Order: sequence, then C-alpha cells, then structure tokens
Amino acid sequence: MVKNAAARVDTRRATLSRWLDPDETTLAILLLAPTAILLSVMIVYPVGRLIYTSFLDLSLTSGLPSRFSGLANYQQMLDDPVFWQATWNTILITLITVPGSLLVGLGLALLANLPFQMKWPMRLSLLIPWALPLSFAGLIFAWFFHSEYGVVNDMLNRIGLPGVIWFNSPRLAFTAICLTIIWKASSFMAMIILAGLQTIPRSLYEAADVDGAGRVRQFFEITLPLLKPTIVVALIFRTITSLQTFDIPYMMTGGGPGTSTATLAMYIHQNTVSFLDLGYGSALAVVMFGLSMCVTALYLRMIRGSETVS
Amino acid sequence: MSASVSSGTGSLLSGKPLRVIAALILVVNGLFPALWILLTSFKTEAELTAKPITWLPHAATLRNYHQAFSDQPLLTFLFNSFMVALLSTALTLLVSVLAAYALARLNLRFRGLIMSVIIAVSTFPLVTLLVPLFETMRALNLLNSWTALILPYTVLSLPVCTLVLTSFFEAIPRDLENAAMIDGCTRFGALFKVVVPLSAPGVFTAGILAFVNSWDEFLLALSFNSNPGLRTLPVGIQLYQGEFAFPWPIISAALVVGIVPVAILIVIFQERVVSGLTAGGLKG
Repeated sequence: MVKNAAARVDTRRATLSRWLDPDETTLAILLLAPTAILLSVMIVYPVGRLIYTSFLDLSLTSGLPSRFSGLANYQQMLDDPVFWQATWNTILITLITVPGSLLVGLGLALLANLPFQMKWPMRLSLLIPWALPLSFAGLIFAWFFHSEYGVVNDMLNRIGLPGVIWFNSPRLAFTAICLTIIWKASSFMAMIILAGLQTIPRSLYEAADVDGAGRVRQFFEITLPLLKPTIVVALIFRTITSLQTFDIPYMMTGGGPGTSTATLAMYIHQNTVSFLDLGYGSALAVVMFGLSMCVTALYLRMIRGSETVS
Repeated sequence: MSASVSSGTGSLLSGKPLRVIAALILVVNGLFPALWILLTSFKTEAELTAKPITWLPHAATLRNYHQAFSDQPLLTFLFNSFMVALLSTALTLLVSVLAAYALARLNLRFRGLIMSVIIAVSTFPLVTLLVPLFETMRALNLLNSWTALILPYTVLSLPVCTLVLTSFFEAIPRDLENAAMIDGCTRFGALFKVVVPLSAPGVFTAGILAFVNSWDEFLLALSFNSNPGLRTLPVGIQLYQGEFAFPWPIISAALVVGIVPVAILIVIFQERVVSGLTAGGLKG
C-alpha cells in the first residue's frame, strides 16, 4: 500500500517535472504553440475565410442570406472602373514613392553618416517621422497643402510663384499624396541604409584615398555596391508596404476629387465597412493578397540569398 | 586627405560648414512638420487666417488645448490608445519571448521554414484581413471592444518582435543558462530568470516597436470600433472636423497631445529603437 502510494507520488512528480522540464521536442511545441495558435486564428483561418467569402454574394445591406455566386464578384471587378482606377493608383503610388523614398532616404542616410559630434539630433530627426502615425502625417500634410493657409503655398508665394489649389485637381492631389508618402517613408529607408553604411569598413575608403579616387568615384565604386543587398531588401519591403497605402490618402483627400486618388486598400475598406458588401470586398482583398504575396516571395528569396552570402 | 576625410565614412561631403548644412537639412526635414503643428497649436483662429500666414504665434494661447479636451473626449481617446497599445505589447512580448527562445536555442528541424513563415507574416497586408476579421469579430460580438484591436495588433507586431528577440537571445552565452539549470532551475526558470533579464535591452526594444505599431494603427481601429467611447486617438482625431469647418489650431493641439507620449518614448530609448529597427527591420 505504502509502496504503491509512493510510486503514485513519484509518477505525479515525474509528470510535473516533464511539464516543467520537458525534453527538446515537447519544449519546442510548448514554446511555439502560442505563436502558432495566434497566427492560425488571426491569419490562416481569416485568409481561408477571405477566399471562401470572395465566391459568395454576401452583402449585409441586402438582408438576403449569403449564397454561392461563383466568380461573379471577380466578374464585377473586371467591369468596375473604380477598381481599375484604385489598382492603377496603388501601382502608380508604388512606382513613384518607392524609388522616391529610396533616393531621399539615401540622401538623408549619407548626411546622417557624417561625423557629427552630437548624434542624437540626427537620430531623432529620422526617428520622429518614422514614429509619427501615418494618419497624423496625412492630416498634417493635408494642412501643409491647404490652398489658402498652407505653408507650401506660402513658401511658393515667397519665392514669387503662384500658389495652387492642391486638392481640386486629381493630378495635384496625387502629387501632394506622393510627396507626403515619400517624406514619411524616407526616414525608415534612411535608417536601414545608415545601418548598412556603418558596416562598410573605413579602411576601404582609406585605401581609395591612397589610390587617389575622388569622393564621387568612391561613392559609386565602394558605397553603392556594398549597400546593394541592404537597398534591395529595403526596396522590396517598401514595395510591400506601399501596396497597402491607406492612411495618408484617406486623411488627405478621402480618395477625391471623385475617386481619382483612391487606393485599392481604400476601396476594400469602402466596400466592406461603408457598403457592407463583404463578398465584393473579399474579392478585392484576394487580388491585393495575391499582389502582395508575389512581392513577398521575392523578398524571402532575397533574404535567403543574402543569408547564404553572409 | 587626412583624418577628417577618412572619418567621413562613405560620404561625399566633409568639412565643418557642410556638416552644419547637413545637420540643418536633417533636422528641418525630420522635425518641421511636428514643429509646425506645435506652433499652430498656440495660434488663435484669427492668426491662422491672416495673410500672409504668420509663422510664429504672436499671442500664444493655450485655449486650443482646452478646446481639444472639451470638444471631443480626447482623454478617452488617449486612454483607449494607451490601453490597447499596452495590452497588445504585453501579449506580444509574452508570446514572442517564448517563440524567440525556441528559435534561438533549440535544434528545430524546421527552423528555416518557421523563420520564413514569420517573415512572410510580417509583410502581410492588414487590409486583406479586414473582411474576415470584421466577420469574425462581429460573430464573436467583439466589435467595439479593446479585444477586437488587441488580438490583430499582437499578430501585427509578433514577427518583428520575435526576430529582434531571437537575435538578442542568440547573443547570450549558453553557459549562463546551463549553470542556472545545474543549480536546479528548470528550462523555463532559466529562460525567465537568466535569459530574459540579460536581454532586457532587447525586450525593451521589441516592446517599443510593438507599442508604436499599435499606437499608430488606423485602419482596423477605424473599421472595428465605431463606438465613441472606444475610439483610439488616430480615429478620434478625425471627429474634430465639422461638415464645413476644419478647426486647425484645435486639431493641432490634439495632434500634439497624441505625438508627445511616443516622442518622449523615442527620445529616451532612441538608441534601442534604432538597433531594434535595423535588427528586425532588415530581416522583416
């Protein structure tokens, strides 16, 4: 009896210690389970659900029960001029702001890499734009570009140019949005590039100095080639975020005038939250998901590539 | 071609005057918008509509701040933003500490695959989750609750935090854990008593990244929480605009109130934020 009870206590202790001090495999499962559960519930299931919903006629305003409608939502998309406009705007924003923020970011990074005695003001001037919420940046710049009281038109006037009404013309509104995005995104670019710059050995430049290579040549023959992996990864990352553009145009123009500055993300939001047309909204989201995953695949390849090199 | 040249690693410019110009460009570019908002928040409506526009407020007033808090429940917006950001940061840290430990220490067979999945998730367009999460939250009756935001925000920050923490954990010598375990610590004990305290800077970094992510998020907050008492700051700030009027000085005051907490955080932890961004940002 006594022996039996002791054995039972022993097994219980063993179970307890197995939980507290599990073997490698159990431990791995325990440690990764919360992540796996969160990702499954918040991403894997919703994506499955998204694809399923995109084949449904599911509009909460119609009051009708959802029914399977095959490719009808996708068919509707092909005939929907706003969809094409929003997609084109999204692509155009990407084509303009990704290289734009790279160039500005590269410039800022080169400036920030100078041997300053006080480094924190430079660091701060890159960090604050990064930390500023996109929606705040949209609001602030909407006001910068205000036709009467905006500081942009004020500065144009000061140098003798006429101010313009930024948000009345599709082209000008689009320009203002792109400038804002470039401002906001370039600080993140600059920080990544700055980190890359600081890994370049100083001795390379010293050697180039000895060889008599000028600053410009050093930039093109040392700095740029060594920065290339950093830049490519930053570019792809920026492209992925750019495809999701929402906050800045939403705050600056609300997609207007008309739908001329709407992005795909804004159109998904409008169809889902305003029109409650979940079926069509899902189909739009599937298209964006596809676009984004293509770029992500490229991104993963680049990162894998750079890991094997280093 | 001497000391001053070689210290300008990789830059096209050198010399003191150029450095001053560079500093000016950087600071004006980075801080002008925030500074402009700060100046505007002290202006009167009359000063705002003066032509040509005044740059510095002549009769600085705190009225706009008073208005910002009384016209809309700004304090409630702040509280919601703060609690949602804080709770999702705590949850993110808890989950990502565990995952990062597994990635840094265990001989996982599918480590490469798991890393790829985490990086892929970090690029995930949140807006595509709008429809299914909207449906799920509606079905679970979670629309208009903090939870409706805390859960997606946790997933939003999880990848970058896991990557940052993994690189910090990898830098801690295994011997320290082994010693702790010989002294009778369990594996979990070693993780929370040795590894986590020693990587406190990394945990801080990850925490700030998660906090800023949640504090900034707009789309889901806009879509899931329409109840006035549950709006976060980015969503609430829109409410100041009337149908035709746009009270800029008051909006500016509200924006300043929203920027200051994160700005303080950034000023205090700037070095850690930079290292975290480049450790996590480059990889994901």
